[in-house]
Parts: sequence; structure tokens; C-alpha cells
Amino acid sequence: MTGMDAATLRRALRDADPALSRFDPLPRIVFCDDFDRGFCGWTQLVGNYEDTLDSMLPSYAQHTQPMLSTLPNWDSGSHHGLDGGYVLKVQSRARKGSRNTAIKRLTFRKAGPIRLEFYFTFKPEATELRLSETDVRSFGFLYDLQSGDQAAGGERVMPHFRFLNALDGQHLQKWQFKQALQPAKDLGTEGKTATHDHLSPEGWEDLPGGAQKLCYNEIATKVNWHYACFDFDLSTWRATGLRINDRPLDVSAFQPMRMPAWRNLWCMLNIVFFVETDADKRAFLALDGVCLSGDF
Amino acid sequence: MLAQNIAAVVCRNESWTGACATEPYECGWAREAIVFVRALKAPSLPPGTVARVQVSPDGMHWADEGTTLALPQAAAELRFARVTHFGGWLRLVAELPEGAGITLLVTLHLKE
Repeated sequence: MTGMDAATLRRALRDADPALSRFDPLPRIVFCDDFDRGFCGWTQLVGNYEDTLDSMLPSYAQHTQPMLSTLPNWDSGSHHGLDGGYVLKVQSRARKGSRNTAIKRLTFRKAGPIRLEFYFTFKPEATELRLSETDVRSFGFLYDLQSGDQAAGGERVMPHFRFLNALDGQHLQKWQFKQALQPAKDLGTEGKTATHDHLSPEGWEDLPGGAQKLCYNEIATKVNWHYACFDFDLSTWRATGLRINDRPLDVSAFQPMRMPAWRNLWCMLNIVFFVETDADKRAFLALDGVCLSGDF
Repeated sequence: MLAQNIAAVVCRNESWTGACATEPYECGWAREAIVFVRALKAPSLPPGTVARVQVSPDGMHWADEGTTLALPQAAAELRFARVTHFGGWLRLVAELPEGAGITLLVTLHLKE
């Protein structure tokens, strides 16, 4: 093994492992979740509250638990995952505009470049014998980040992306981002807890050049897996790349939400996936493989 | 490898009146489940009001599994039902009589 540097060896080992070689991680893999091993820390995003659950914003109260799914279909049985039997499924309620989420919560060790890679697919519930290609409104992902407690000018920063598939029946198929802040609301009486609906429908902006036709397939029960890779730098709060399948998207116009630091969130690194329905039927986002890596 | 064992909150602080159901939950990986129901506020229910466990082949079409559960009659009261051999999907349903209501927390505790 003379003459092989650490990076080459690391790359060779990664390429020899089918579970890893489908990703292009930065040098340190923080996690690489395969849902045949269970939920791997992905859970429901419950809204904030104090004293009573009634204080939770309705947009959060609708959230429910993600599922380990085989993507079963009434006409063709289980579709299964990209690799193995199970996928993580996030499913909305059967009410137009309803959304659901899955979240994984951690903190970061170094404020530097991070890369989020995942394989995904999306579909409406197959309640009709129609293509139903405009019944999923959107799906997307976001980071919820906050600087360390010793950082000067502490900030909470929330990069949001969504693929707006359809709105009110119009097939739009484009990537959007959101930097507009939603008003924060204090909860309870102790002055310790607040909430804001950062996923609300308002304020989404088109990513320039972000129109993209994704493979939907020919009936409502056939799915195809897609690849996504998002690069973000925790030291500058800048997006440095977004790739969906064969397409690198230009993120030079992208801006995350930025706000003064909140009181209990230092070094936070949360990742959220979400889906919204555009019809009175459930929509789902499925993930089979999520890899977070960093340059540290 | 330890067996999977999860708590899934499928209904949180929802007020049920009339015909109600929890959202469908796909859990075919699990061999057994306990459905817990807790009243979050004082219910207004005739004694003996029950909820029914249902199963489904696809998350869209439902049939009674046979297990029933008497709904709580007081705030904070906890009831549960055990279910096994349920296939791929579970939900809890109830038809409450006119004027009856309950605000509840429903959790599924699932084990491989």
C-alpha cells in the first residue's frame, strides 16, 4: 500500500461499498441512513407549545409520525426501496394544502462545508384511476441552523428549498427557495418559548433556472428514485451547490432565512423533509438513503 | 441487532365528534402493537363508547380487525388495546353519538 494517500484510500474503500458508493460525501460522514435499519433518528416535527397543546400553531398540529414503508400499492404490491425493503415515508393528510414533515436533530462540530445527499420519490395516494400528476403540491427540505454560543453576532439560519410540482392544479415543476421571515409568536407566560411557521405558503421565490421535469412515470402507483445533493457552508451561511439527478442548479441567487439567534438553539443542525398535497388526497415523500457529510 | 420498538403518535390533541379516524399508519414491519388512548380534556361520552381497530391492505380500504377499546371517561384516563397479526396498516376509528366528544392522544407502540 505504498504511495496511496489517505484520500485515495478513503475513496477506494467507499467505492467498494455499494451502500456508500451511491453517494459523493465530503471527507467525514456524519451519518448515512438506510431505512432497513429503522428510523435512524427521523421523527415527526412537533410544534412548540407551553402549558397546553392548544398553543401549538395549527400548521404544526397537523404533523404526524413518519413511517417505515414498503411503498405498497393496491394494484401492484410493495414497490420497496432503492436498496432493501423499507423506505422512510412522510405522508400528508387528505386535505388540500395539508403538509407533513420528518426531522432529524443534531448539532455541528465545525462551522464549515456540509453536504446533504438523499434519494427520494413522491406520489399522491392512488385513490383514483388517473395519472394524478398534479395532486402533489410540493416536497422539499431545509436546514435549521444556529451559530455556536461563542460566535460573534449569533444567528439562526434556515435554508429552505422546495420543488413546487403543482399549485391549484397547474403543473409548475420548479425549484423554489424561501428567505422571507414569518412572524414569531411567543408561547405561554414564561418568556422561554416561541414559534414561527417558516414552512407557510407565503414568500417562496423561484430559483433562477430552476424549472425541472422529474420522472413521474405513467400511473399513480409507479415510482422512480431521484438523487439530490445540497452543499452549504456553515462558516459563511452560503449555499454552494444543488444537484438534482443530472442537473446542477445555479444557487447564486439563493438566500436562506436569517434572524438573530434564539435562546436555546446553539450549534443546532436540524434537517427537515416535507411534503404538501394540492388535492383532497394524501401525498407522500419517500426517502431511501440520506447521507450527511462534512469537511472536518 | 435489537428489535425495532417505536412509539408513533398518530393523533395528538384532536377533538373527535361524529365519525372519526386516526391517520393511516403503515407498520407491516411490526409483529405486535398496543394502541394507547388518553383523554387530554374531560370527555363528553356515553358510558361504554368504544373505538375500533381497523386493518387495511393499502391504507385506503379498511375493515374492522375485531379489537375494540372503551374510550376514556375522564381527563387523563388511559385505555389501551393489544393487536397482533394485523398486516400492513393500522388505524383507530369511532362513531360518536350526537353531542358526544373527546379530545385525545393516540399512540401506537410497535415491536418487531
